[in-house]
Amino acid sequence: MADRIFAAVVLAVVLGYGIMAFAVIKAPFQYDPLGPETWPQILTVAAALCGLYVLLKPDVSVMTMTGGTGIRLVVTIGLLAAYAWAYEPLGFIVSTIIYSAAMAFMLGGSAGRAIAFGVVSGVAGYLIGAWLLDLNLPGGVLGDWA
Amino acid sequence: MDVISGLSSGFAVALLPLNLFLVLVGCFAGTLIGSLPGIGPINGVAILLPIAYGLGLPPESALILLAGIYYGAEYGGRISSILLNVPGDAGAVMTTLDGNPLARKGEAGRALSLSAVASFCGGTIAVILMSLFGPLLASFAVTFSPADYVALMVFAFASLASLVGKNPIKTLLGALMGLMLATIGIDANTGVARYTFGIPDILAGIDFLIVVIGLFGMAELIHMVEVQVSGKLKLLPIGKSFVSWRDIMTVKWTILRSSLIGFFIGVLPGTGASVASAVTYGTEKRLDPDGGRTFGQGNIRGLAAPEAGNNGAAGGAMVPMLTLGIPGSGTTAILLGALLLFNVQPGPLMFEMRPEIAWGLIASMYIGNVALLVINLPMAGLFARMLTIPQKYLTPLIAVLAFIGVYSVVGNPFDLYMIIALGLFGWVLRKLDFALAPVILGFVLGGLFEDNLRRALSISGGDWSILVSSGNSIVLYGLAVLIVAVPVWLARRQRSRVATDG
Repeated sequence: MADRIFAAVVLAVVLGYGIMAFAVIKAPFQYDPLGPETWPQILTVAAALCGLYVLLKPDVSVMTMTGGTGIRLVVTIGLLAAYAWAYEPLGFIVSTIIYSAAMAFMLGGSAGRAIAFGVVSGVAGYLIGAWLLDLNLPGGVLGDWA
Repeated sequence: MDVISGLSSGFAVALLPLNLFLVLVGCFAGTLIGSLPGIGPINGVAILLPIAYGLGLPPESALILLAGIYYGAEYGGRISSILLNVPGDAGAVMTTLDGNPLARKGEAGRALSLSAVASFCGGTIAVILMSLFGPLLASFAVTFSPADYVALMVFAFASLASLVGKNPIKTLLGALMGLMLATIGIDANTGVARYTFGIPDILAGIDFLIVVIGLFGMAELIHMVEVQVSGKLKLLPIGKSFVSWRDIMTVKWTILRSSLIGFFIGVLPGTGASVASAVTYGTEKRLDPDGGRTFGQGNIRGLAAPEAGNNGAAGGAMVPMLTLGIPGSGTTAILLGALLLFNVQPGPLMFEMRPEIAWGLIASMYIGNVALLVINLPMAGLFARMLTIPQKYLTPLIAVLAFIGVYSVVGNPFDLYMIIALGLFGWVLRKLDFALAPVILGFVLGGLFEDNLRRALSISGGDWSILVSSGNSIVLYGLAVLIVAVPVWLARRQRSRVATDG
């Protein structure tokens, strides 16, 4: 069933991809026999055939997952999105401390250790990344003196 | 003669203090990463690629560093296999079969040192073969026309579909997804924007680094959260035992055979360490005078074979990447993408045009293999300590490293959301038994595939028969059909035999 749903989604995407390949993409003028649309057209046909095959002959029947795992995954994605959102405004050090601590806490660390881990990864990450390796990391709220 | 002069110029590059330092750093970091449970070479290279890119190194130095991480991780994978019975990736699965029983008998030190020697031999034999055959293959491939390249690519994808993963159609669909992702962005020939939907961040195409980090870094992170083991894994003590000269003599033919088999399997497009270690283990078991009864109970041949095999394959996979520009495995696809980031087009001309990269890399692999042996024999205990890092700390660190890498290259926060989305996508694919390596191969090869097709048809003025008009291409299409048909035919024959037996 999971396979079928996935194949249906893939086919829907391929359909959209194909509509654009066959109807939308066009070069205003070209010298070569193949324009920008031919290659996507070929891919559309091949992907549609493969997608249909998976739809008709699925082999992964169920995607089992316990409720606890599902919640953990949702929280993981949520934390990642929040980390991405806070990366520039708060800066590397603060956002990394919060993200690492929250993640370690969620995965079963005690509050104290999780915070200690967060502080270490945020500060050490900045020292190694920005100072030692000279990489471009956002300073954020600590921008003036970090 | 060419080989000798090429190698000496390569060593001149590899022995520069900076490059020598990078080989050592790469090997050390690779072994560390490879020994972390659950993180294999492909994830390690993926997570560290943007950081290596952001350091502003010249291309040959960056490639030397990344290659060091790659085969270092192939080396380090055995540590968690032996001590924890948890393989770092698919290529290290076979190592657990005899490595872990040895460790349970209290001979972990012997198992670690023996497998280090086997890995060293596999890696060294592979790099020797590479120095001999690489230039030959390259000088042959220089004559390839665009139509031949199209045939070569068809062969690569056929071999990928046939040999990787359980379901060939899914592997092909994965590769097609990669190819489709690669069409996003402005078409270089005509300047027409394709599939950009007016989003300025993807006008130049989806950045290769983002796809790699998303599919192999973030997807791995989500996977680790999903399967997180709460109980503590039991780490076996290393003890004082060490490999003896007699052990090495016992396995010398095993190592030689397995290295050769591993190398040739590595050269085939799409197949890498996992197929090589399985085939070499199976071969040794069949050749065993006792009928393979002691395999799985701590047989030193069963330990040496897959380790020599997977390191041989890691070297073999570099050959098509360097000489044809067609990677032999997911990890070499990432290395190829890394070269493209530096505006270096790998392929047959690289040995002539950019010898410092091709030969410098090969020479650095000789040095790296020796360094790995020297690092690994005395320091196995240090690497083993990495295994005790709890997952609850390891998992967030992956995200921190991935964010540093992606952000430091362009400084665009949009990319951070992209890697999360691609990570989710990669995780769903994994759940559904799709292999991820074909996706990245498709993504890396997409531009090359399309360019060559269009160039071939420009030459012929739109006549499609040019694709099958040269000897090279006909042979390659023949091989493509064979590589798909033979496994199907073998499976059918086996099934009919089982049917008649029963």
